[in-house]
Amino acid sequence: MVVYSLYILNKAAGLIYQRDFNEGLKRLSSNDYLVLSGTFHAVYAIASQISPVPSSSGIEVLETETFRLQCFQTLTGTKFLLISEPRQQNTDAILRRIYELYADYVIKNPFYQIEMPVRCDLFDRHLATFIKGIP
Amino acid sequence: MTIYSFWIFDRHCNCIYHKDYKRPYRQLRPRSDFGPGTNDEKKQTSGGPPTGKGPLSVDDDAKLVFGVVFSLRNIVTKLAGEKESFFVYRTSKYKLHFYETQTNLRFVMITDLKVDGIRPILEQIHAGLYVEYVIKNPLSPVEHANGVGVNNELFNLGLDRFLRPLSIFE
Repeated sequence: MVVYSLYILNKAAGLIYQRDFNEGLKRLSSNDYLVLSGTFHAVYAIASQISPVPSSSGIEVLETETFRLQCFQTLTGTKFLLISEPRQQNTDAILRRIYELYADYVIKNPFYQIEMPVRCDLFDRHLATFIKGIP
Repeated sequence: MTIYSFWIFDRHCNCIYHKDYKRPYRQLRPRSDFGPGTNDEKKQTSGGPPTGKGPLSVDDDAKLVFGVVFSLRNIVTKLAGEKESFFVYRTSKYKLHFYETQTNLRFVMITDLKVDGIRPILEQIHAGLYVEYVIKNPLSPVEHANGVGVNNELFNLGLDRFLRPLSIFE
């Protein structure tokens, strides 16, 4: 069960964190990552517009043959995108745990500016340990 | 299992077929931007005075659906490679299923959350109904010009007959 990468987008669709954990997806340039995050933010918003039923959220899960993308939007508008294998279990729980780590090591860091790129060493380390520990 | 709507887009990005099965609610287009923190409930009022530009027409809906599908395909191609495409995406209230043929014909179906594994159904609609009644019809246009969609009696009937037993209509 493999997690490929994690993206964190801020309220303005800017990419504030991007990390690849395992090989499996194509190598992208940093410009590509920015374009991807902007596009996804827009698609997320439109997906809630075309809903046949009122008050739908945006895209939560996207499934393809080679990967599965799960999106978790917090109440503050921050989006966590997790790209993993198609058969990965518990991506929901993984995302919530990552959100906890984000709240603990990024938001509570007094030197971190909200909505800016994440450069917190503790967050990186705990994230790496957590991802490695996923069965 | 409820099917909300069904769309077919051709390779020139036109909507050539559209069918609404159950549309309990046509969204009002909000005036403000799609801020994630803003209250969605406030914007989406079904009755009362119109706050936005009015309910979405079918054309606008088609454009939005196609835009979503097209952009998602681009994302998937960037991440996974040229040959890949997505099957389905899920939101909190509906699922969108997507199937693209080798000729860049795109089938999109919006259903409720209880539906799973509709890909073989979309393949069947293409192979068994579309190819049979539309492609093989010598009188149907090869390239659909503006506005002229799939206007085929047999296809409509066949699709109805095929889909009704599968879904629950209220």
